[in-house]
Amino acid sequence: MSGYLGSYATLGLLIVVGALVFVGAFSANRLLSPSAPNPAPDKYRNYECGLDPVGGDWAQAQIRYYLYAFLYVLFAVESVFLFPWAVIYDRPEFGASAVVEMGIFVAVLALGLLYAWRKRVLRWT
Amino acid sequence: MSHSILAAAAGQMGTGEKVFFWIFGPLALIGAIGMVWARNAVHSALFLVLTMLSLGVFYVLQAGPFIGMVQIIVYTGAIMMLFLFVLMLVGRDSSDALIETLRGQRTAAILIGLGFAGLVCTAIARAMGSVSAKGLDAANQANGGNVQGIAALLFTKYVFAFEVTSALLITAAVGAMILAHVERRRENRLSQVDLMKARFAPGNYPGPKPGPGVYATSDSVATPALLPDGTFADRSVSKILPTRELSGAESAPKGTER
Amino acid sequence: MKYLAQDPTLANFGHDVWWLVLIKVVAVFALLLVLTLFTIMYERKVVARMAVRPGPNQVGPNGWLQSLMDGMKLPFKEEIIPITADKVVYFLAPVIAGTCAFITFAVIPFGPMVSIFGHRTPLQLTDVPVAVLVILAATSMSVYGIVLSGWASGSTYPLLGGLRSSAQMISYEVAMGLSIVAVFMTAGTMSTSGIVHAQAGGAQANWDIFGWHPQAPSWYAIVTLPSFVIYAISAVGETNRAPFDLPEAESELVGGYLTEYSSFKFAMFYLAEYIAMINVSAVGATLFLGGWRVPWPLSLIDHGVLNHSWFGLIWFLGKVLIFLFGFIWLRATLPRLRYDQFMRLGWKVLLPANLVWILILAGIKTTQRTPTGNTRWFVIAGVVVVALIAVFLWPEKKGPEAPSTEQLEEQLAQLPEGSFPLPPLDLQVPPSPRLQRLTGQREPATVGGGTDEKEN
Repeated sequence: MSGYLGSYATLGLLIVVGALVFVGAFSANRLLSPSAPNPAPDKYRNYECGLDPVGGDWAQAQIRYYLYAFLYVLFAVESVFLFPWAVIYDRPEFGASAVVEMGIFVAVLALGLLYAWRKRVLRWT
Repeated sequence: MSHSILAAAAGQMGTGEKVFFWIFGPLALIGAIGMVWARNAVHSALFLVLTMLSLGVFYVLQAGPFIGMVQIIVYTGAIMMLFLFVLMLVGRDSSDALIETLRGQRTAAILIGLGFAGLVCTAIARAMGSVSAKGLDAANQANGGNVQGIAALLFTKYVFAFEVTSALLITAAVGAMILAHVERRRENRLSQVDLMKARFAPGNYPGPKPGPGVYATSDSVATPALLPDGTFADRSVSKILPTRELSGAESAPKGTER
Repeated sequence: MKYLAQDPTLANFGHDVWWLVLIKVVAVFALLLVLTLFTIMYERKVVARMAVRPGPNQVGPNGWLQSLMDGMKLPFKEEIIPITADKVVYFLAPVIAGTCAFITFAVIPFGPMVSIFGHRTPLQLTDVPVAVLVILAATSMSVYGIVLSGWASGSTYPLLGGLRSSAQMISYEVAMGLSIVAVFMTAGTMSTSGIVHAQAGGAQANWDIFGWHPQAPSWYAIVTLPSFVIYAISAVGETNRAPFDLPEAESELVGGYLTEYSSFKFAMFYLAEYIAMINVSAVGATLFLGGWRVPWPLSLIDHGVLNHSWFGLIWFLGKVLIFLFGFIWLRATLPRLRYDQFMRLGWKVLLPANLVWILILAGIKTTQRTPTGNTRWFVIAGVVVVALIAVFLWPEKKGPEAPSTEQLEEQLAQLPEGSFPLPPLDLQVPPSPRLQRLTGQREPATVGGGTDEKEN
């Protein structure tokens, strides 16, 4: 196997072995756990601190989570651009231009953070 | 098909690549079909995650490890997570509505779908015919690595597109914030004095509301308390809960009446 | 010089024979499982010691087998799946959480090139040019385990707990990803073995202290200190550990996303949580603490004989344990933060500080290249001055203004007759009339009693 593909194949092997180990462990668990459990009536209800569950299984969550997920996308993309930049920015053929370009990029995205800040999106109430 | 593209990209197709392609190709396809077929929105999203992961593996296979990892970090990690968050907000049982909310939505979808299919077909036809793929190996060698090569192009040739990306991102983010965030202005916030005045205003009962009923048979928050005259106290159950009347078996005496 | 540890390069990876790969994979799994069992005991023992109590001391020698027994117990338990659960996703979530937790250790270097059964091979499962991105990808995938477990349980507490937990993880993932950028900038590579190699030895400093040329520090924990601090904080947030253990806020969310999980699936999440902690410690040790390299004073012995082959494993595990000790120490010391405080720290402190630090570092590095020394210092001074001005001109947070006494008196005058009595405006509490009466009655009695006793 070639060196390039070999290193990734090893990674894939680890994931596959991991998944297999867990599926195997779950099967073992099925064998080991009590085979004839006590069929109490409300046992398989979901847990609400001992009270009867009321309403659906779903609770209204704040829309704020969506905004944070959006900010996460914003900065995930930013860091993805920062990674390759960090590896090459100090090469002599770029001079200061790479730093300035990244400075503009970061500044524009920081503007988004600033906007969220001023709009009190970041204040979790 | 893309099988042959792959072969051309690597000069010749290695066994390892073939094995990986035939594992992840069907997986990507299953994900794509499952995404459309799944009834549940979250299952649909998970199938899409599978497809995106397979695409990431394809990029790695074709000598582009950086873009492969970016595919996993940004698409499966961030964007699909955003999807999932939205689905959680909407609720799990909201099945897909079959009513057209936008007029002409279906015809537009069919037209665009056909157009896209045509585009993909011509691209594949071209790739199978005249174009001979060069592969990334030479490009990766030139700058001392895949990441370095991408960076070198990004900050010289495509620097304008790179800067525009930031503008695009920030536009989307600001739009999301405007749509989803209701800013509570400090002036509009009720002061403690105002809240007190509202609380003691005529017609409003200032005391705490009665708790829900606690019986030997049920202590659920949805079970209303009883008033002295035996009727249900409406105020003892939160408005957002469905009122639960005790069933006959539940309200039947348990042998304690003597 | 003959002991000089041979650093593996990227070319050394991907050429192992299949049985060697298999041995390494099994070794990674075994190491992680043993480390998890150990970490649980390590944590319980250290926390117990800090709380001045014995801690677990019954099972095995000094109680060290307690975690193993606890783990062994779980598969024998009945599994209770709520009827409202989405069965497939309910099963999938712990598998995702567990599998993703193991990926990180595939690219962590444990040591230099060693010889296993006659094969020269690096003491590391595999390394790729984008190894650190693999780690980040695994971390971002592990969030799925949490979100899906919360959703699939079909219960409100897990749903809210899962959402909260994942919002927390993605917030701190941003800070974590950005803190690693400074490491890339200094090392110039993204492969873990390359980063460890880059921390091998600092450049010779220009100073001359009585003929001794000290080496500049080479660990990135020192060279890029702000990044290290941010990484350490975000690592705690990322792994949901105290003081950021909000998903497990029992008083609010019962058990968070894993409330509805029992038996082995619960064990899986428990395992994934501890492995995540070991993962961030191992990544921190690799990226910031020199990886498997021997720490500074010891590295001077005989041209680094202690770096040789299998010695690396000792130093690496030692650094991981020190990192883990930090986690445990925090847990034993600090109370839990509120969710809003936590989010404020992540988005308003760590993130902006990170961005500014990256740009400052880039500026410094770029000016260092310029041959003339003077311009460099001018640029650095300029950056410092701008930063200081920004700090001083930062708008101070104004609290709500206290109303003046006149305003309050005016308000009081407007109150209708017979309103509720209000305390005086100067907020000086007058002595309670009851207190006066009490002391008035008591004083003579005690004095009298005292003298009586004396006389008797």
